[in-house]
Amino acid sequence: MPINEVKPATGGFSFDNYARNTMLNDKGFKAPGVIKTGTTICGCLWKGGLVLGADTRATEGPIVADKNCEKIHYLAPNMYCCGAGTAADCDATTGLISSKLELHRLHTGRQSRVVTAMTMLEQMLFKYQGHIGCALVLGGVDINGPQLYTIAPHGSTDKLPYVTMGSGSLAAMAIFESRWKKDMELEDAMELVKDAISAGIFNDLGSGSNVDLCVITKDGVDYRRGYDRPNERVQKERSYKLKPGASTVLTSSFRKYVEVLDGDAMDTS
Amino acid sequence: MADRYSFSLTTFSPSGKLVQIEHALNAVAQGVTSVGIKATNGIVIATEKKTPSFLVDDETQEKVTLISPNIGMVYSGMGPDARVLVDKARKSAQEYKQVYHEEPPTAILVKEIASVMQEFTQSGGVRPFGVSLLIAGFDETGPTLYQVDPSGAFWAWKASAIGKNMVNAKTFLEKRYNETMEIEDAVHTAILTLKEGFEGQMTESTIEIGVAQIVEVTSQEGVKSKVGRFKKLNAPEIKDYLANIA
Amino acid sequence: MAMKGKNCVAIAADRRFGVQLMTLSTDFQKIFEINPRTYIGLPGLATDVQTLSELFRFKTNLYKLREERDISPKTFSHMVSSTLYEKRFGNYFCEPVIAGIEKDGSPYICSMDLLGCINHAKDFVVSGTASSQMYGTAEGLWEPELEPEELFETIAQAMMSAVDRDASSGWGVIVHVITQDGVMTKTLKARMD
Repeated sequence: MPINEVKPATGGFSFDNYARNTMLNDKGFKAPGVIKTGTTICGCLWKGGLVLGADTRATEGPIVADKNCEKIHYLAPNMYCCGAGTAADCDATTGLISSKLELHRLHTGRQSRVVTAMTMLEQMLFKYQGHIGCALVLGGVDINGPQLYTIAPHGSTDKLPYVTMGSGSLAAMAIFESRWKKDMELEDAMELVKDAISAGIFNDLGSGSNVDLCVITKDGVDYRRGYDRPNERVQKERSYKLKPGASTVLTSSFRKYVEVLDGDAMDTS
Repeated sequence: MADRYSFSLTTFSPSGKLVQIEHALNAVAQGVTSVGIKATNGIVIATEKKTPSFLVDDETQEKVTLISPNIGMVYSGMGPDARVLVDKARKSAQEYKQVYHEEPPTAILVKEIASVMQEFTQSGGVRPFGVSLLIAGFDETGPTLYQVDPSGAFWAWKASAIGKNMVNAKTFLEKRYNETMEIEDAVHTAILTLKEGFEGQMTESTIEIGVAQIVEVTSQEGVKSKVGRFKKLNAPEIKDYLANIA
Repeated sequence: MAMKGKNCVAIAADRRFGVQLMTLSTDFQKIFEINPRTYIGLPGLATDVQTLSELFRFKTNLYKLREERDISPKTFSHMVSSTLYEKRFGNYFCEPVIAGIEKDGSPYICSMDLLGCINHAKDFVVSGTASSQMYGTAEGLWEPELEPEELFETIAQAMMSAVDRDASSGWGVIVHVITQDGVMTKTLKARMD
């Protein structure tokens, strides 16, 4: 690479390895799996705003890769977005859109609107024809009041008063269908979303661990990380601490850090 | 042909000058004065907001602008040129954030803007930017104030002034500046500096002030931390400062 | 595999390099020093391990020249993440693990999938062919607030137990324990089959 072309990545996908990977795949090389957020995510409207909810399990095939991951992503001060599907895609897509929204806010000097974010996400996901695997629940409050959207990986959207997504969406939707009412109080809405996520946690194997909530009103955001922790690991009854020397060591070395201090100026006279 | 070296931007005059850049500096020197002062706990930048006629709705004008949460800037010279730089700077800050999930340090952003300005002194079919910038930021290393000129040259200052009244303003700052000044004093000094050579009435709608300082923020997990933030003073705040001076 | 301890972190890897079932080398480097307080483990396809280690060496050297400071482990992990995600549709076959000490002295570990999805853990992270075994051993042995020596024994045993049950890992183990004052590097006596 010529030295003057060297600069940090500034966005855009690179397909450099694509042909090689197809070749490797054809020859029978098995690629490591990607982390998915099997996930139950949902949200519902209530009298004064909306509540978003998510579980915190990330899986790599049948393995739990992360027991307490964060699935409610920041988009704007008045907007958050739950992500299900390929975890890297959800992280990157919400990050990109939140960056675009921030630039848009600086440009217009106004609060971001939920439809703006929804349209950006929809267009991006449609452009990639489902290859970016995120299923999103977008919620925010703007001058048009609280709004909830779902955005599917191919770019289709829905605007509904209560929504669920991910592998646990059926379990969560069952709770909403039986208990959601118009103009609920905040406490009831939080309880309902907690129960919907819990239904996913306990009945869907792709979802698990804790319940994260995010309450958005016109006055601000109340992000409740670990709102409910029904699956805390119990304290080990005994310590299995290993005694020094338990493992046979072949070579051992210790390298101290070099401390760089400001010294006296060199005498150049 | 006396001015043949002033035609092509990328041709040196025999005396080793790029006269287009000097002309750009003249454009800056005709622009409205801006000042920047480094305090012990932050940076203050301020400028005069001048409108050609009182019929102009000055509320829509914005000269002190936010680049990223911890960096802001003000310009002297040609407004439209500055706007292009603001857009580029904001985009560059976002690109940095996309890669590192971290706000860019002031020095990095300044270098980025300066290299854009330099590029416009050496490319074909373009002219240099007719602006000088004062960039105020607060990062891990503390508060810093930079000035960037049309040539792409930049310096860090304790206090500086650019624009029409810069010579007098700098003399004034040299007399007034001291190293123990805090933000409050720096705002006062900035206003007083602008007052030198101010035409017309100084009110909260004819000046703009921005401050980079430390604020406490609470993360999603409820952890409190102190970070640098840039904010513009609103009209009532500026009014209070002006009232204290008069 | 990387683990958090009390003001210290440890990162460990096996040393085998092979083509399917044939072992070609028993001193293959999978853990790389980014700066004195930051290490990255790159398990995966050997060609990508070496390409990425060179790429990150290049990127962090450039970062240091540009910013006149060492990159922090957290910032570095985001750099790695965006590097991997850039190749979302033609990815590297590598799932990095990063361990280091932050500027304020706090320990930092994370792992990533091959697309760059970062996994921050409060206890330990694992990656590679023996990852399912390592999840089990590490989950059993890890305890909070381990001192550097205890952390070494814990990660060493967790690593050895897991590697012994993975046919395509093994042939020696290397452990780095990164502490407040320096880095302790040890190689372990392990099964060579």
